[in-house]
Amino acid sequence: MKSDRNESKLAPAVWERLADLRPNRRTVLAAAAAALATPYISRLAWAQDSVNVGVVVPLSGANAQFGVNSRNGIEMVAEQINTNGGIKALDGAKINLIVADSTSTPTTAATVGQRMITQHNVVAILGAYASSLTLALSEVTERRRIPLMTMSFSDQITGRGFRYVFQAINKASTLGAAQLEGTAQIAGGAGQELQSIAIMYEDTAYGTSQAAGLRDTAAKLGIEVVMDEAYPLGITDVTPLINQLRATDAQAVFPCSYLNDGLQIIRSMRQQNITLPVIGGAGGYVIPDFKEALGEFADGVMSIAPGNYDQAPELTDVFRERYGYFMVHEALEHAVCLDVLAKALEIAGEADPEAVREALSNTRFEGGWCAAMPNDAVDFDETGLNTLARPLMVQWRGEDLVTVWPEDLARGEAVWTGA
Amino acid sequence: MTFVQAVIDGLMIGGVYAVISIGLTLVFGVMGIINFAQAEFLMLGMFIAYFAWKFLGLDPLIGSLLSFALIFGLGILVQRTLIQRVLNAPPLAQIFVTVGLLIVIENLALIAFGSDFRSVSTAYQTTALRLGPLFISVPYLAAFLMSLLCGVALWLFTNGTWYGRAMRATAQDPMAAHLMGINADRMRQIAFGLGVGLTAFGGAVILPYFTVHPTVGQQFVVLMFTVVVLGGLGSVAGAVVGGLAVGVIQSVSTLFFPIQLQNLVLFIVFITMLALRPNGLLGGAR
Amino acid sequence: MRWWIAGVAAVALAAALPLFLDPLGYAIRVLTLALLFAALGQAWNIVGGLANQISLGHAAFFGLGAYTSTLLLIHFSVSPWLGMLAGAAIAAVAAYLLSFPTMRLRGHYFALATLAFSEVLRIIAISWSGVTGGPVGLSVPFAMEDSFALLQFRSTLPYYYIILGALVLISCVFLVIRHSALGYRLRAVKENVEAAEVIGVDTTRVKIVAAVISAALTAILGTLYAQFNYFFDPDAVFGIVPVSIRAAIVTILGGAGTVLGPIVGAFFIIPVEELANSYLSSQMAGLSQLAFGLVLIAVILVQPRGILVLIRDGVARFRRGDGA
Repeated sequence: MKSDRNESKLAPAVWERLADLRPNRRTVLAAAAAALATPYISRLAWAQDSVNVGVVVPLSGANAQFGVNSRNGIEMVAEQINTNGGIKALDGAKINLIVADSTSTPTTAATVGQRMITQHNVVAILGAYASSLTLALSEVTERRRIPLMTMSFSDQITGRGFRYVFQAINKASTLGAAQLEGTAQIAGGAGQELQSIAIMYEDTAYGTSQAAGLRDTAAKLGIEVVMDEAYPLGITDVTPLINQLRATDAQAVFPCSYLNDGLQIIRSMRQQNITLPVIGGAGGYVIPDFKEALGEFADGVMSIAPGNYDQAPELTDVFRERYGYFMVHEALEHAVCLDVLAKALEIAGEADPEAVREALSNTRFEGGWCAAMPNDAVDFDETGLNTLARPLMVQWRGEDLVTVWPEDLARGEAVWTGA
Repeated sequence: MTFVQAVIDGLMIGGVYAVISIGLTLVFGVMGIINFAQAEFLMLGMFIAYFAWKFLGLDPLIGSLLSFALIFGLGILVQRTLIQRVLNAPPLAQIFVTVGLLIVIENLALIAFGSDFRSVSTAYQTTALRLGPLFISVPYLAAFLMSLLCGVALWLFTNGTWYGRAMRATAQDPMAAHLMGINADRMRQIAFGLGVGLTAFGGAVILPYFTVHPTVGQQFVVLMFTVVVLGGLGSVAGAVVGGLAVGVIQSVSTLFFPIQLQNLVLFIVFITMLALRPNGLLGGAR
Repeated sequence: MRWWIAGVAAVALAAALPLFLDPLGYAIRVLTLALLFAALGQAWNIVGGLANQISLGHAAFFGLGAYTSTLLLIHFSVSPWLGMLAGAAIAAVAAYLLSFPTMRLRGHYFALATLAFSEVLRIIAISWSGVTGGPVGLSVPFAMEDSFALLQFRSTLPYYYIILGALVLISCVFLVIRHSALGYRLRAVKENVEAAEVIGVDTTRVKIVAAVISAALTAILGTLYAQFNYFFDPDAVFGIVPVSIRAAIVTILGGAGTVLGPIVGAFFIIPVEELANSYLSSQMAGLSQLAFGLVLIAVILVQPRGILVLIRDGVARFRRGDGA
């Protein structure tokens, strides 16, 4: 009781005195005050010579690698737009990226989004790679009426009737469905009828929704799912999964996971001489590290992907030259998002979120980076889903990922082979 | 047969759990501090072994010695500059200094090494021994044997050398140890260095089948705590028993429950066990 | 008496503060989050500070609150206000049940048993997807208009006041417990369990009562978090790092066992984290989290008993210097 009395009486006085004592503390406090007060100051001035675009991606935590890839793609396109004269409809205004770390916590993603909207007057936000982060962020952007452009997979993103969210790629359930349809066709082309499959997936939003797509499609195509196992994220030992797989008569295995589990799964399969075709669910199966880690064992591994760099080498080679690795799909799709946003700004003619939203939802975008998308165009429906997106299947060939399905997009022949 | 296979798999991974957890229990035994940053030293050990493989061409099983040595030194430094200062602080403050250390190490690693997932390739990582219907994965077996060697070496050190005995004496009674002419601060440094070094070693030996990235520690931190508490905090033998038990529980549970629930089973066993034996399997009444 | 005046003045100040802020803005969101974590720390403080039972599993109760009210709202259109009470009741029962295996545990064993319990609930939330929505998480149904009954507003301002109210409520509960017979018994347990038993304190019962109250209050905050954030997934509400560790960190940084501790801690660390993120995260990945970790270590090294003690010592030294 005594201590409480002291604390509450003293606390305010202390801060004043401390601030008087040490000039550097005062500067810190002033900086803090300024940071909190900025909303009103910056609200007065819409920047004329530049357009602020928010980028919210995980730069630390478990998904950092994908966040960094995404940022790389976005930064490259921003530079291209700016060197080509910026947004012409806005007197050559430059794209000014405001990048922030969403970490791996949905709360942080939402808070960061709020900050971009109030402090930086962003006209739109790109992000946030992981579905849970995007969902949390979209709750903020929807209420503040700021367009959010994303390449996250989750069905929920455009399934809630939101008006300000734009999903540039297929939903997880569509990807899961295509993962099986494509495989069935490729197997059929090799003279094998696909009758039984094994699904294993990490128990995250990504893994579960994609597995649901696989499961539903299997039922529709009359393919038996002989193994259907979720496993905890960050599993330290995949042997139980492979032991189960060995006991089945699956003709192909569909793992939906990131890199660590993916490598463990394939290596453990090799140890037990299981040579089934492996069809990954994007994630860790379509990044250069996969090949680097597995070497020759990567050859022939297939994966579903929402996009691939070989669809527009003339655009994506610039990325490879600049960063030293091929343009991974999250970088590619984020690049498309920014390019589409720039086109929408041209149409809107003003850096106003509402006008940009109108342009985004009422336009069919073509040219530029849209050429990297499967239909060379982007068109959002009323839910914000890009109706022209199409999943494709890729296969590892040496150092490269080659699109092998569907036929009209294929850059190489699919090889039906075990891992 | 599947049961035998599951037990074998569980023991293999359990041996590794044991060696990475011995470090944690050692630190607790000598200093009474729960080190939340322990798994970060596992990550650092993995990175050292990775770079030793990449630039020196050393197999991670050999590189593990380098991991141990470097992290042993780093541990002494951390003990002198950080842990020593909170030895007499309330337990809460101690816990959260190590939580702070966890955040710092993880993000320093992110800044220094980048966020890429890195993995070594070795000839044996895709091979397995076949005994009738049973498979024994070679990289798991190698990690298990290295862990076993490491355990024997630790036992020889603590029982057969003056330093080892002095360290145990410090753990039992710092005051008496001091009166016997043992420099308790020196012993704590060695214990902390040894503790994090062992965990780093354990990280290195799993590198043939596990990828390393700055947040890999998060995958092990809760498991390590489960192991040491199950065995009894501060007890090295307890960590070995706890490690093997956790490995086997995880593996055998998948025969009866979905794999997704393997840790649910583990934690329920853990809580039940604590209710029955509040000081762990091998923990005496303290 | 002066103490009460100071308290009322502080609340009045907090209530007036938003008048100067953009009601939809970033600053008020950060302040609301600080209030939320202060309240969470305060609920934790009842077991962690008063009884010295270091719980690392408060996410269990936070998550139960969030899931109970949101599921009742989605499936049965139950107002979150009622859902909040239901969540609090369920969390209280959970805490009571948890006390059976954990009541004999001390120190680190207790900490890790509670941590394991929250992990059990997290895994259930992930795998029982038919009921919980699974790893995808739950969205609070979007209300087209602001609604008090649905506890949903477009502006952050109402949340600010509601969470401020929760903080005041929990702080009052904390003070009442602290100054009641229960508080004295808890302190006896904290000082020396054996001695407390000798003088006739039913230590087990005392600990259980504190744990149940703390759990119920934590669940209320879980509901408020869900309504404020509109979306959550199992990791966000049952997570060790985002909830359990944070509840403990704000309390410890401020000063465990005191009513001002969690408040000072939260209003220190949440803005520090935000400033670090806003100024450093675009410079280099990891830099802002690194700064956060360094600040945490620095505060504890300078004064392991928290910022309040640091301030008090500083003032005492200042006064001594002043007089001389």
